[in-house]
Amino acid sequence: MTDLQEHIINGKGYAILPIEDLNNFNKLRDQFIEKMQLYTKEKKLEKLRMTITSMSKSQINDLMVSLLSFDQASEILVDSCKNIVSSLSENEIFLQRRANIIFNLPGEDQRRQWPHYELMSGVSPFTYIMWAPFHDLDDDGGVFYLDQNKSFEMIKEEHQKGIVNGPTILNKEYNEKPPKLKYGEVIVFNPFILHGNINFKSNLARIACSVRFQSIKKPLLQKNTDFFKFYKV
Amino acid sequence: MSVATITTDMNIGPFKIPSNGQNMIMNNYLQRKNIKVEFVIPEPMASNQLATTQWCHKDYKFSKVILCSIYQLPKEENKLNDLIKNMDEVEFHFALEGISGTGKNFLLNCSNEVKVFLNTEKLDSSKKNWIELYSLFKSKNL
Repeated sequence: MTDLQEHIINGKGYAILPIEDLNNFNKLRDQFIEKMQLYTKEKKLEKLRMTITSMSKSQINDLMVSLLSFDQASEILVDSCKNIVSSLSENEIFLQRRANIIFNLPGEDQRRQWPHYELMSGVSPFTYIMWAPFHDLDDDGGVFYLDQNKSFEMIKEEHQKGIVNGPTILNKEYNEKPPKLKYGEVIVFNPFILHGNINFKSNLARIACSVRFQSIKKPLLQKNTDFFKFYKV
Repeated sequence: MSVATITTDMNIGPFKIPSNGQNMIMNNYLQRKNIKVEFVIPEPMASNQLATTQWCHKDYKFSKVILCSIYQLPKEENKLNDLIKNMDEVEFHFALEGISGTGKNFLLNCSNEVKVFLNTEKLDSSKKNWIELYSLFKSKNL
């Protein structure tokens, strides 16, 4: 087992790592800004982040759906982190067809990802997730992560009650703070890691990109060609 | 030149999609792509050759056809070759995968991708709970 595998599978369950090919990742960020020209004329990421804060929840939802057509994003992100991906899943992978570009808005009552495990979506237990922001995270606009032991304790607690992703985890107060990733860093985690957003104060929205992948040698669960494509890293 | 959607047997690879569900999926895809449809082709239950589509193509000369998934392509090589030969200029769209393309290479790539997925083990989610899936994650990664 590599150090990364040991860390992700038997250790904390998540790791913050430098993006290996930052020039390639820059392309991903720049292509995103270019695609956003259809909605806003802002060419600077910071202004774009500010503009997004004034959008309604439904406008942001429409925007996120339309960005699903940005189908090179998933390949660019894994190609920017080839060693990380191949260390966990070798070179032949099932790669999420359309990476998610995710906006997180400051303030109370904003759209945010409630605490969840990736497994809930039907990805297999052998799927890994990479999440990278398009800018430094200077505030609490990132994602908090519970380490593997704590996450599994929550799964067991819910399992005993016969529920999954229910009020036990939705209503819990989380003290974990989102790690303050810098631009050029990526967080990688296994699908049993509980994570989510907290309310945060800022003048700027947070923008990040995430992608899921697994080895073709490991079993699939519910996700199939609808979600994954075959890809060689 | 016309555009057609194609419904098939509800058993589509790992998916089970009734024909009205297939229509909903394709119509949503078409709406997003701003494509207008003129024909709806119902392939018969248990048919897996897209033969009706090919017969219709002789008369209606489709420019685009829309299917739900790449799993609806013929599995038998000779049947796939027939489809490629008869419809090599037609643009194929697969709504669930969100991909489209024309010609031999595109359709062979789709077919080869299906083979990779078919060759991969599947876990039956109805027979596994989260604790078991976690144990599997630990044990199969050793």
